Amino acid sequence: MNTSRKMGAEVAIVGGGIVGCAAAYYLARRGAKVVLLEKSVIGGEASGRNGGGVRAQCRDRRERPLAMASIRLWVGLEAELGFDVEYHQGGNIRMATNDERMAVLRREAEEELADGLAVEMWDRDELRRRAPYLGGVFSGAKYCPTDGTANPILATRAFGWAARRAGVTLLTQTEAVSVGVQAGRVTSLTGRDRDGGVLVEAPRLIHAGGPWTPMLSDTLGIQVPIEPARSVVAVTQRMPPLFKEFISSHDLGVYGRQAREGHVHIGGIGTPGRTFDQGVPAGVIERLARGAAEAIPALRGASFLRTWTGTLEMTPDRVPIIGPVDGVEGYILASGFSGHGFCLGPIVGKLLSELIVDGEPSLSLREFRLSRFAETVGSAQMGEEMDSPRLRGMEHY
Amino acid sequence: MADRVEVAVVGAGPAGLSAALAAARAGAQVTLIDSHRAPGGQYFKQAAAELWVGNPSRHQREGQALWQKVMEAGVRFLPETVVWGTFEGNLLALHGPQAPSFLQAQAIILATGAYDRPVAFPGWTLPGVMTAGAAQVLLKQQRILPGKRILLAGTGPLQVVLAAELVRAGADVVAVLEGGRLFTASLRHLGVLWGQWRRLVEGLSSRLTLSRWRVAFRPGWGIAEAHGRDQVEAATITRLDQDWRPIPGSEETLACDTLCLGYGFIPSNTLARLMGAEQDWRPDRGGEVPLRDGHMQTNVPGVYAAGDGAGIGGGPLALVEGEIAGIAAAARTGHGAGDVEREIRRLSPALARERRFQQMYAALFTPGPGLYEWSREDTILCRCEEVTQGDVRRAVALGADSINEVKAITRCGMGDCQGRMCGHLVAQCIARETGRSVTEVGVFRPRPPIFPVPISALGRHAADDTSAGAAEAIRR
Repeated sequence: MNTSRKMGAEVAIVGGGIVGCAAAYYLARRGAKVVLLEKSVIGGEASGRNGGGVRAQCRDRRERPLAMASIRLWVGLEAELGFDVEYHQGGNIRMATNDERMAVLRREAEEELADGLAVEMWDRDELRRRAPYLGGVFSGAKYCPTDGTANPILATRAFGWAARRAGVTLLTQTEAVSVGVQAGRVTSLTGRDRDGGVLVEAPRLIHAGGPWTPMLSDTLGIQVPIEPARSVVAVTQRMPPLFKEFISSHDLGVYGRQAREGHVHIGGIGTPGRTFDQGVPAGVIERLARGAAEAIPALRGASFLRTWTGTLEMTPDRVPIIGPVDGVEGYILASGFSGHGFCLGPIVGKLLSELIVDGEPSLSLREFRLSRFAETVGSAQMGEEMDSPRLRGMEHY
Repeated sequence: MADRVEVAVVGAGPAGLSAALAAARAGAQVTLIDSHRAPGGQYFKQAAAELWVGNPSRHQREGQALWQKVMEAGVRFLPETVVWGTFEGNLLALHGPQAPSFLQAQAIILATGAYDRPVAFPGWTLPGVMTAGAAQVLLKQQRILPGKRILLAGTGPLQVVLAAELVRAGADVVAVLEGGRLFTASLRHLGVLWGQWRRLVEGLSSRLTLSRWRVAFRPGWGIAEAHGRDQVEAATITRLDQDWRPIPGSEETLACDTLCLGYGFIPSNTLARLMGAEQDWRPDRGGEVPLRDGHMQTNVPGVYAAGDGAGIGGGPLALVEGEIAGIAAAARTGHGAGDVEREIRRLSPALARERRFQQMYAALFTPGPGLYEWSREDTILCRCEEVTQGDVRRAVALGADSINEVKAITRCGMGDCQGRMCGHLVAQCIARETGRSVTEVGVFRPRPPIFPVPISALGRHAADDTSAGAAEAIRR
C-alpha cells in the first residue's frame, strides 16, 4: 500500500471509543502530541451503544477502586469537557427475587463497605418504600447512592470533541492496519482511509480497539483473549418521570434506566452470542419486554419504540486488560472491558496519561495486565471466586 | 407460534390488493396485512362503516369491487396489524388483534405505499397546518371539513382535485398554490396523455369546479411562513424561481385557518430497507426506492416490492406492479398455470404505459431543490424530538457528516415516527451544509420495532418460552 501521508506523534491511539478518547484528551492536557485513529466515527460502537450505567457497586474487587475513582471524575465531567453529558447520580439498585441472590448481595456489601464504598441492604419493605415502582417479584436489593447514569452517545463524543480542542489529531474513518516495531519497540502505526494510507511515527501506542483488538494485536504475535458479544438495548416511548435510579436484576435478566427525555432504556443481562452481528433477534426483544414488564409494572402500558445493538468484548474473567505488554516496548493495551468500559473510560484514560507522562499511574494497573491469563491454568479459575458464571455472565453497563 | 403462509402481502392498497388477488388466483395461499381497519389504502380510501352515507367516489367503488374479488379468491386478511420487524428466514413480526406474533412466508410482497412529503417552513408546526393526505382522510374517511378558510399549497393535479372536493363540501378555498410553472413544460408531454382519458376528465372537472367558484390557481407560488398564536391565522406566500427558491419582495399575506400541503409523496421503504433490499436514490420517484427485477423482486430472494412503496407511480401503476409481483410470488411458491414469463409479458404494455405517465408526472411535479430551503435556523425539522435546523447545523459543525451521526448527537429521528417525517428534511440540510450528496449523507438506519409495539403484547408472547424459541428456531 502506498502511504500517502506521514505524521509524527508522541502517542498513537487506536480506537475512538471512550477509553481511546479519554486517553487522548488527558494526554493532550498534559502536553503530549497525540494522533488517534478510529475505523468509523467517534463513539460509534460499544462506547456509544450501551446502557449508560456508571456504577461502582457489584464490581469485581480488582475493578472497584477504578470504578470509584472514575465516578469522582464523572461528577466533574461536564465542567471538565464543557459539555452536558447528562450525568446524573441517581443511585443504583441491584434487586433480588430469592434468598440465594440476597445472600450473594449481602456478601458483596460486606466487601464493598470494607473497601470504602457506601452501600445499603434493603429488605422487601424497604425496597417497597424506596422504589415503589418496582414489581412485587423482588424480595430485596442492594443500593448504592453514588452510582448513576450518563448519556453514552454524548459522553463519548464529548471526550472526542474535547480531545480535538486540546490539540489531538482525530482521524475518523481510518482503520489501523499495522504496527511498526523495530528492535522490540513500537515505532509507527499505519492506517488506511478513503483516500489512501497514513503513517503515524510514534514511540508509543495505546491499543483501545474494543472487540476488534485481536485483529491488530495478532499481527504483533500478541494473543488477546477476548471474544465479541452482542448487547441489545430496547427503548420505550417517552414516559412521564418514573424513576431516577439505575436498576438491574440478574434473576430477570434485565437492567434499566430512564433517560432525561423520558425514554426508558431496557437492556439484557445473560449469556450473549459470540458474534459481531449487530442484528436484533426477535427472541431478544421479547425477553426484554417480558423482563421490563415484570421489573417495572408501569411499563406494561408502554411501547418499545426502537432498539439498538452494540458489540462488546469479553475477557475470560470479565475484567479489562490495561497496561504495557511484555515483549513490545511502547505497546499499551486498553481493551477487554467486558461491558464495563463506559463507566471506567474516564479513569482509565487518565491513568494511561499518567503512565505515559509520569511513568507511573496514580492507581495501580498491575491487576489488569495481559500476563495474568498466562499465570492461571485456563481461564475458568478466574470465575471461581465469583458466585457463579451466570452472575458474572454479562453486566454491560 | 409462528404461522406459515406461502405468500404474505404487506399493505392493502392498490398494489397489495392486486398482488394478493393475482397470487391467490394462481393458487397460492395468501395472507394480506394492513395497519388500517378497512382495506383500500390511501388510494381507494374507504369511509368508516358507521360514516358511510351512500355516495362513494369512483375510487371507493373500484376499491370495493377489487376487495370483493380478493375475498372471493380466499385471501386471509389481517386488519389493524403492523409489521414491526423482519427477521432472518422471511419471518415477519406482527402486532394486531387477529394476528399471530410471527408469520413465516415463502414469499413477501411489500406494498407499503407512501406518505406525504413534509415541508419545513416557519410556522409549519402550528395546528391547522396539515398534509393534503390528512385533509383527504378527514374529508373522505371521517367526513369532516378540515377548516373553513383553506389555503392549499403543493404540486400536481391532486391539489386541484382536493381543492374541488373541499369546495364541493362547503369549504372556502382561499387559493391553490402550485410550486411548478406548468404550461410550457406540459406541452412537451401531450403525447403521454393520449389514452389517459379518465385522468384528463377528472382533472378538467376539478379545474372547472375551481373556476366556477373563482378559486385562484397560482403556478410558481409557495409558502414562506404560517402565522398564528395557537393556530394558523394567516400565511405569507411567495413567488418561487425555477428551482423553487423564494423570490424576495414577492410576498403576500392571505388570511386562512387551514393550510393543506401536497408536495408529493415519499415511498414507505423502512420495511424493505430492514430486510436488506438495496436502494437507489431516485428523486423523480420520491426518494429511496428498492432495486427490482422484471418480476418486481428486490435483491433479497423472495422479497418483492410493488406500488408507491417501491417508487411513486400512482394507483394504476400500482395495480399493474402488484399483479406482476403476485404472479411471480405465486410462481416462486410453486403455483400458477403455464408460462409465468408470458403472463408477465401480457402486462407489459400496461406497465410501460403507466411508467411513461409516471415519468411525465415526475417531470412536471417533482419539487425543485429550493423546497428544502424554506426553513430558518429556528424552524423545527424533527417534530418528535423538537430538533431545529440550527441544531442540525451545530452537529455538522462538530464534525457530523452523516444522517446517523447527526441523529446520535441531536436525537432527530429518534422519536415516535422513527424519522419518517424528518428524514428527508435533515438529509437535505446536512447535504447542503457539508457539500456531500444526499446518498452520501445516508438514511436513518432502521431497527426493529419499526413501529412502536406495546411491551405487554411483546411480553405476552414471550411468556411461554416456546414462542421465543420457535422464533429463534425459524430464524436459523
